[in-house]
Amino acid sequence: MRFAAVLDGTSTGSTDGTATVVHRQSAALGAFLRGGLDARAPGETLVFYDDEREKDRLIELAPTRDVRLVRTSARAFERMAAHLSTQAEGGQADLFLFAPGPAGTELATRLACRSGGGVLTDVVTAEAAPDRLSCRRYVCSGHLMGRFELSARPWCIGIDAGWTDAGEPEAIEHVVLSDTDDTVAGRPGPFEDPEVLEAPSTGDLAPSRFLVVAGSGAGSRAGVERIAAAAREMGATFGVTRPVAMNAWASMDRLIGVSGARTAPSLCIVAGASGAPAFYWGIEKAGVIVAVDLDEHAPIARDADLVLLDDAVAVVEELAAIVAAEREAR
Amino acid sequence: MSAMRILAYFGVTPDYEALRESEWSTAGRGPSSGGGEGDGRDEGAGPADLPDTRYVRRILDCFDESALELALRLLDALVGLGGTAGLGAVSVGAADAEPHLKTLLALGFERAARVHTEAVLDFAPAATAALIAAYTQRIDRSDLLMLGARSGPGGDGTVPFRVADHLGWPCITQATEVEPLADGRLRVTLMTDDGLQRLTARTPCVLAIGNAVVSHLRVPTLTDRLAVRGRQPDILEPADLGVDLSELLGRETQTLTALESVDRRRESILVPGDTPRAKAQALFDSRLKSLLEEL
Repeated sequence: MRFAAVLDGTSTGSTDGTATVVHRQSAALGAFLRGGLDARAPGETLVFYDDEREKDRLIELAPTRDVRLVRTSARAFERMAAHLSTQAEGGQADLFLFAPGPAGTELATRLACRSGGGVLTDVVTAEAAPDRLSCRRYVCSGHLMGRFELSARPWCIGIDAGWTDAGEPEAIEHVVLSDTDDTVAGRPGPFEDPEVLEAPSTGDLAPSRFLVVAGSGAGSRAGVERIAAAAREMGATFGVTRPVAMNAWASMDRLIGVSGARTAPSLCIVAGASGAPAFYWGIEKAGVIVAVDLDEHAPIARDADLVLLDDAVAVVEELAAIVAAEREAR
Repeated sequence: MSAMRILAYFGVTPDYEALRESEWSTAGRGPSSGGGEGDGRDEGAGPADLPDTRYVRRILDCFDESALELALRLLDALVGLGGTAGLGAVSVGAADAEPHLKTLLALGFERAARVHTEAVLDFAPAATAALIAAYTQRIDRSDLLMLGARSGPGGDGTVPFRVADHLGWPCITQATEVEPLADGRLRVTLMTDDGLQRLTARTPCVLAIGNAVVSHLRVPTLTDRLAVRGRQPDILEPADLGVDLSELLGRETQTLTALESVDRRRESILVPGDTPRAKAQALFDSRLKSLLEEL
């Protein structure tokens, strides 16, 4: 078996967003190759790029020694999938690994559709056998872990976003095996006039060391705003659960969980959230979890280190007052 | 502006948060099939041992619900621009979707259909996508398909791309807003790996809706419901779409072989106190003060 890790290094449109996104892809793929894939197999990295000036930087981010470069247009996922399909047919790889995120999911799926292979996304671990790939991924909104088998090759795997916080990519002495130009001159893409609207505003959530999360137990937009103000007072980053964002009590960019950010703070205070698995996935790597909730039977009361059974808004505001008083006393 | 024919797909799913916590434990169940590879690990239950959800209410998949509401808003905007548009809805599965289809008729969807199957397609994304694509192309002949970026118990996010591949259409995923332009194209806002972007797209295309601010479907009035009380959704069989479902299911390339419980338990130490102030102080004194100093 041979694998190919795929990096989408085509431009994202923002000033230095490409490097950030590819860095994240590389860290996740590298971590998965070291800890998530149970197979000793040779492999290489396929890097798609559209800007000649970025090439050297992208090569440095490849998680394997051997690298193949493919020049193509940004967001040309159908074209990229066609190129990968050719690689699969040529026997250059039978396991393709894609980074977490929409681009990885699209490429994995389109490659599998074209080549008749199997696809699975959000993969936590994978074990290769001669005739199948066995993978584990969460199902039923995170309530259960499912074990899946893929038989038809190539196996196209999108890896779980939990591998993105793996730290710095390894330093590797790279060898570029090929550099192919797959651009089609004068051919317009399916989408036009791309415009970057704003810098990602979720950037403060993932690196946060102290996080306060408001759930629907806050009771109202006013309750959520009071928890947000208390979080600011304590110097914490503020996040919310999906029900809070869906009620428009806070903006979507504050969302923690499967459909939002995955965090790993040293301290996380969960205020008024039941602790549904889809949310908990976003905080499960926290060092200490403090739950404040009125319901002693809520899942979060069992899945936290410390539990305060009381009104979430009142307790968090009292905590903020205590922290402020302690700060002044110094 | 030429007429635009819009189709929105939705799925219904059990409200998992309404299930008792103990229902999720696979201990003592199965494996009814699969698993048991003899490696000494607890393989949990087989795929047929999913919790019994028959007594739990059915809800719209959250991203699909956004897609339905955004489709209605797109229809309103197209009409506002002086264009014409027709809006349809389709679901795949057993009768669970029926009440939602009737609601959609009351909300102004001119077409509502269900592709009937008793087969459980929860972990069969290829078959689901093939049925959606066949309905889109052969029955509805729409030129814009809107659906949630991921849905259902499997929720692997591949269905929109599989449908796009069947249709030979481009796909925009993680879309959060869509508005029509006077020339018939669409201006789409989407969340990419690198933040919020906006693109112009031509139809035909697939729009997969992500974390949209518009997350709730509007509610029809009693008058709206009475106006369509005689109308029933169309019910089609896979064969009506030229699809052999058994053959499709036999070609699924992923197989769910086992289910395992997820143990997230921590110490769960109860912090004492009679008032919010007392509990906050006890927490601060016992753990928080030292933790904050370390930060």
